[in-house]
Amino acid sequence: MTRVKICGLMEEQHVKAASQADAIGFVFAPSKRRVSIERAQELSRLANNDMQRIGVFVNASYEEIEKAVKAVPLTMVQLHGDEPDELIQRIEVPVIQAFSIRTPDDVEKLNNSIADYILVDAPGTDYRGGSGHVFDWSLLENVNLDHSRLILAGGLNRDNVRAAISQTAPFMVDVSSGVETDGRKDEAKIQQFILQAKGDSMERTQEKTIDPVGFFGRYGGQFVPETLMKAVKELEAAYEDAKNDDEFQKEYHHYLSEYVGREQPLTFAARMTEAWGGPKIYLKREDLNHTGAHKVNNAIGQALLAQRMGKRKIVAETGAGQHGVATATICALFDLDCVVFMGEEDIKRQQLNVFRMKLLGARVESVTKGSGTLKDAVNEALRYWVTNVEDTHYLIGSALGPHPFPTMVRDFQSVIGKETKRQILDKEGRLPDAIVACVGGGSNAIGMFHPFVDDEKVRLIGAEAAGEGVDTERHAATLTKGSEGVLHGAMMKILQDDAGQVQEAHSISAGLDYPGIGPEHAHLADNGRVTYEAITDDEALASVIEMSRLEGIIPALESAHAIAQAKKQAQSMTADELLVICVSGRGDKDMATYAEKLEGLS
Amino acid sequence: MKRLAELKQAGHKAFVAYIMAGDGGIKKLGEQIQYLQERGVTAIEVGIPFSDPVADGPTIEAAGNRALDEGITLEKVLDEMQRFDFEVKVPLVIMTYLNPVIRFGAERFTQEAKKAGASGVIIPDLPFEHRQLIEPFAKQQELVLIQLVTLTTIDSRLEEILKEAQGFVYAVTVTGITGSRDELAEEVGAFTRKVRELSPVPVYAGFGISKESHVDMLRDDVDGFIVGSAIVQAFHEGRIEDIEPLIDAVTAPHSV
Ligand SMILES: Cc1ncc(COP(=O)(O)O)c(C=O)c1O
Repeated sequence: MTRVKICGLMEEQHVKAASQADAIGFVFAPSKRRVSIERAQELSRLANNDMQRIGVFVNASYEEIEKAVKAVPLTMVQLHGDEPDELIQRIEVPVIQAFSIRTPDDVEKLNNSIADYILVDAPGTDYRGGSGHVFDWSLLENVNLDHSRLILAGGLNRDNVRAAISQTAPFMVDVSSGVETDGRKDEAKIQQFILQAKGDSMERTQEKTIDPVGFFGRYGGQFVPETLMKAVKELEAAYEDAKNDDEFQKEYHHYLSEYVGREQPLTFAARMTEAWGGPKIYLKREDLNHTGAHKVNNAIGQALLAQRMGKRKIVAETGAGQHGVATATICALFDLDCVVFMGEEDIKRQQLNVFRMKLLGARVESVTKGSGTLKDAVNEALRYWVTNVEDTHYLIGSALGPHPFPTMVRDFQSVIGKETKRQILDKEGRLPDAIVACVGGGSNAIGMFHPFVDDEKVRLIGAEAAGEGVDTERHAATLTKGSEGVLHGAMMKILQDDAGQVQEAHSISAGLDYPGIGPEHAHLADNGRVTYEAITDDEALASVIEMSRLEGIIPALESAHAIAQAKKQAQSMTADELLVICVSGRGDKDMATYAEKLEGLS
Repeated sequence: MKRLAELKQAGHKAFVAYIMAGDGGIKKLGEQIQYLQERGVTAIEVGIPFSDPVADGPTIEAAGNRALDEGITLEKVLDEMQRFDFEVKVPLVIMTYLNPVIRFGAERFTQEAKKAGASGVIIPDLPFEHRQLIEPFAKQQELVLIQLVTLTTIDSRLEEILKEAQGFVYAVTVTGITGSRDELAEEVGAFTRKVRELSPVPVYAGFGISKESHVDMLRDDVDGFIVGSAIVQAFHEGRIEDIEPLIDAVTAPHSV
């Protein structure tokens, strides 16, 4: 994304208005925008830590420049005069060298600059340092120029900056007079310029909001009603604190091993390997967790955190009922009050889990609104939380919701990926070539993937639900078919119509039947680190049978999506490669569906 | 919106009516606005239906679903408002969840809302932290972005929000979602008093206001009242006259 520099700042309120920019500039050369070093120092204090502070000079001495660099302090220096290369070389911080562009010959000169960045401007009039006039941007097209060091200036304003960016693809745009009214900076113009330069309103949140914490690229944030802001902020602080507390971590791991039964094996699937005829297949066995799925890893972490915050009432949503069961279980263990919202439709198809929750002492509330599935259950859980926020913790079940939930849930689920990494290194002495996990909201997948994200050689593949097919109306393929939008407290990818109404999702698997995907996955999809494929109901069912018969492991319907995708993946892999599948849960809960759908099975 | 400040100076209380645009068909929108302004309401919030209205209780959610069944969209509402053939005499404020705005385009939304005669925008799931997504565009069109403050808003945050408040401040009088209530909590009076002391603009109480007893309880501590669910339900059931005593209770001159 193109960076933005607001130059020639002289007043406090303008520095603040530029808080969403990437750089601010102070002019130390003769100009009507000139400031003293002391003034620049004062103004600089108002800017964010990660803001670049750039000093603009015209034929100043090395001593003058160094003095300003140290005092303000400046993070970059911009030179507009006839500074010799020796001077540029001596300056310790990165240097921007400015050039006026009139003719194609001027463009040629740019490549000879030894500066870190080159700034191109229209020829100045009264004094050097830019005139506010536009030069012919097309001069920069089709010439041999490194655009990653290009800074575009000269006559930019909120109306032309987008066109300028698309024509010249610069590293940064630089504006001064274009955000002024009657010779003075204008706060609204500054903000509008930044918005325009950074693309549509949403792209603006990318990497940079007032509080960049809680965003994955452009996704995430805290889009909740004001009543919840206090709780969300408190949770953010409490989690930050707990995360770095050894005692908390010790307790969490204690329950994972003593109660959940971790660590879970990474099982070599010999018969599947043989049947598929490709890579060696390993299964990460989250199905062996107490309560039958990965969900409990997160439920324990959050329940411990809730108690640390003095909250003894828990509300949760559930789709397949696995998260509801995990939450009800942990609430029984810790003697916490538990309400679980579950869609009417899901209650029908996950009867066994409903009964388990009740047996464990939880109150299960049926949600009849909308499609009566997970989305509607989250809505009701959020409403319940808004109303009972002072003493209740919302124990969200996937890597969704307002910050800090997506990060926190990911961290608690990362135990899956960390164990897998250790185990595969033990067994094979190297990392796997590919890993497949199913994605509903995305918690088992992000927990599995996160420890491998920086290992670029490991291919990461998410399997989402194609329902009856991505070209039908009945699917839950958010990454294949969705677009960005705000739902349940976060900017993420959702299935929606042209008017921004969220659509109903469809999947045979209750746990994948959700029209959104958590913010971190949305980001990983955009940047290409993880690829996402859609698996139909029928493909998933076929995989249930295949794995049951080949390995004696009956997978959950959700996990079966990962298995079906892995089978496709295996086709293009060779015998010396390694493929890991996250078996997120076991199939007990789905037995009624299996009995019905697989009737006549011989 | 200036009118709201003047009203406050004159010592009158404001009555802000919330309606669900397109509940009963898009043609109802103009009729309802005309009716309400004739009945002397101070301003009208035009609600846009949304599939997942997590800040709303059953009454407004049901109204929204009816409107969605009529095919109502943000775009249709703004179009309809641009075609009104009567004089709109009171400030209109668009109340919408964020996602339809993002889908429509923030800049386009503010432009069209302006053309539609709106004076302000309320977005309940756009917190103060993320207001930059909309505010610069709203400013460009001279629309105010109304902020909400609630019983759970901590003091330091309250000050920050109120410092920048424009138009009016929406003081949420329940810890919960929209919908009629029998009683308001005791602490609400202290809360609205505090908000009013800090706020540069009028402070209106909303969420749960549905009875004259609520108005009596808070009259001295707010500059006006916002009534939603009670009005939406009365329009739906064809008995809007029932609301008139409530409007009068708020707007009638009151001896102190
Ligand atoms: C066994 C199992 N796997 C996967 C999921 C999908 O959730 P997530 O994408 O958060 O892992 C669920 C949800 O209920 C589940 O029960």
